[in-house]
Amino acid sequence: MSTLLTHIAVSDGKIKRASLEVLSRMTQLAEANGHSSEAVIIDANASDHVDEVQKYGASKIYTIEDAIFKNHQNTPLLKALSKVMDEADPFVFGFGSTESTKDILGALAANTDAAVLSDVSEFELTDNGIEVTRPVMAAKILSDNKATGDNILVSVRSGSYDLNESPTEAEVVDIDFSFDESELKATLREIIGASGDKIDLTEAETIVAAGRGAKDDEGQELIEELASVLNAALGASRALTEAGIMDPSLQIGQTGKVVSPQLYIAVGISGAIQHVAGMANSKVIVAINKDPDAPIFDIADYGIVGDLYKVLPPFIEELKKIKS
Amino acid sequence: MKFYVCIKQVPDVDAPIQIKEGNLIQDTDRMVLNAYDASAVEEALVLTEEHGGEVEVVLVGPEKAKETIRKALAMGADKATHITTDNDVDYDSAVYAKVLATFFEDKEYDVISCGKQSQDTDAGLAGSMLAQHLDLPYATNAVGLSMEEDKLVVKRQGDAGQEIIGLPQPCLVTCSNDMNEPRIPSLKGIMQSKRKPMETIALSDMNLDEAALSAKTKVTGYMEKPEREPGQKFEGEPDELAQKVATLLDEEENVI
Ligand SMILES: Cc1cc2nc3c(=O)[nH]c(=O)nc-3n(C[C@H](O)[C@H](O)[C@H](O)COP(=O)(O)OP(=O)(O)OC[C@H]3O[C@@H](n4cnc5c(N)ncnc54)[C@H](O)[C@@H]3O)c2cc1C
Ligand SMILES: Cc1cc2nc3c(=O)[nH]c(=O)nc-3n(C[C@H](O)[C@H](O)[C@H](O)COP(=O)(O)OP(=O)(O)OC[C@H]3O[C@@H](n4cnc5c(N)ncnc54)[C@H](O)[C@@H]3O)c2cc1C
Repeated sequence: MSTLLTHIAVSDGKIKRASLEVLSRMTQLAEANGHSSEAVIIDANASDHVDEVQKYGASKIYTIEDAIFKNHQNTPLLKALSKVMDEADPFVFGFGSTESTKDILGALAANTDAAVLSDVSEFELTDNGIEVTRPVMAAKILSDNKATGDNILVSVRSGSYDLNESPTEAEVVDIDFSFDESELKATLREIIGASGDKIDLTEAETIVAAGRGAKDDEGQELIEELASVLNAALGASRALTEAGIMDPSLQIGQTGKVVSPQLYIAVGISGAIQHVAGMANSKVIVAINKDPDAPIFDIADYGIVGDLYKVLPPFIEELKKIKS
Repeated sequence: MKFYVCIKQVPDVDAPIQIKEGNLIQDTDRMVLNAYDASAVEEALVLTEEHGGEVEVVLVGPEKAKETIRKALAMGADKATHITTDNDVDYDSAVYAKVLATFFEDKEYDVISCGKQSQDTDAGLAGSMLAQHLDLPYATNAVGLSMEEDKLVVKRQGDAGQEIIGLPQPCLVTCSNDMNEPRIPSLKGIMQSKRKPMETIALSDMNLDEAALSAKTKVTGYMEKPEREPGQKFEGEPDELAQKVATLLDEEENVI
């Protein structure tokens, strides 16, 4: 019996859904293959999250609690992760593919001499490793990869697996950890524009995303109103984040975030492959674009060919009626 | 100030691709400088133009990758090292990071910069691996860089906000293409690039052991991504379209 370990990422006091998706998958694989599904929570208030993690089938939960984890910093996180790998000796160690994970995954692999596959959309166990599918070439193509070894790291794109509750009574193991701030060579000075209570794009059920077509004030007001009627998160194409019109953390695509909402409404977005790379897994895609040949229509379930300034006002009115 | 920028040659993702028997076949053989590395080169040029210093690019790859090195030199990098490999090696990020770490062992530098990921694989691993091998403080996903005495100040796009991180030099940073708009080489730049120093080192002369060069991960095949079913496209009066689609989303899809 081997250990399948999942890293539970916590940000702003909330567990990232991407971590629970990975844990759900790990628990399923553990049951099918006679392994044990375990989890590790590394946070300033790690123990607060044990109950939530138990719901997804972890039979053992490691906690590492230290004030240093209040904000993401790579040095202490790496130290904690190396420590838990020593302790748990995981055959596979899974992560949700968040920015914090991307910051440390390569370094952790180098540190522990583990094989690593990042940003996968599917993974399976084999006798001596894992097999995965990863989107490559701006997500136009899927590649099959395999990794072999005793410790394998894998990060999984958000939305790749459904949440699946299978409550257990987990053994909780608190790992002793201390970090002397003088060990920090890199210093975190401040965090600007943190989203606070805004909806996390990678977890949003509904997203209204705006592109260059909606770059002026009137366009921005319309998409904000649409988002508010639908209680949706706002997203953006690179054209708007680059121009400083929308916040950089809202960028969706190859450089930006990968999202998988139930409903994605693309307004004034052409549908470049690098944008589509981040949103093609949305359940229902609506596109509003005045160019009937815009590539976004190739992947949209519902395409509205028209000027967004003329389409959005009646669309918003209709949605308000439906909502009330 | 000495900047090293690690650059990689990648297939042009915009060129048509086919898959034959699990292998990728590109209709054109077009290879380009990884977009994220181009941003790293640009930023190194801007910082050394402002604060003085030198930019050297390093690439591990086959002979054909020389054209990509030339591109970086034409943008304005001062010199280059090409670590040459065979054409058909199946190395992964970990192997490239080991090779680069070996190269840097006896070098002096203030900053090493990498792309935040490779445009073809999106792996995003080699940078932080290299930092770890060289025991350097590092930051990933930089969207802005500035210099402050002996520190590199990085604006990093995190999960939510942007983190301002001070890195004592020497350090390593991985760059997003959100950082800048890389310059297009001028004709003069292209002419000058031919006379700039380019050192070539054969990977086989670097004394790396078998273990360092054997990848723990392998690509076993490629597949087309399943296409989404084509949907419905509506043209006509905005009021009618808006009403029709809103109703469909509510009644057919149940997503409102
Ligand atoms: C390595 C790399 C990574 C990248 N990563 C990303 C990424 O993560 N995310 C991303 O989005 N892009 C990314 N890009 C950029 C991408 O290639 C495109 O340039 C970008 O997505 C274009 O944004 P857009 O669709 O808003 O703008 P455009 O392509 O200019 O499209 C604007 C659209 O708006 C329509 N329009 C204009 N006016 C109206 C109107 N009044 N009513 C209705 N429609 C209108 C036009 O018909 C057009 O289709 C990346 C590029 C590279 C090279
Ligand atoms: C479609 C496709 C085609 C491929 N074709 C080839 C091919 O023709 N030849 C081949 O060797 N491999 C090829 N590969 C394999 C892949 O490119 C290698 O695994 C890759 O070089 C390892 O780096 P990475 O992409 O994992 O880098 P990442 O970890 O994503 O790279 C991050 C950064 O590390 C630095 N870096 C990475 N690699 C190098 C390098 N070699 N030299 C200098 N700096 C580097 C760069 O700054 C880069 O931005 C292909 C992969 C795919 C998906």
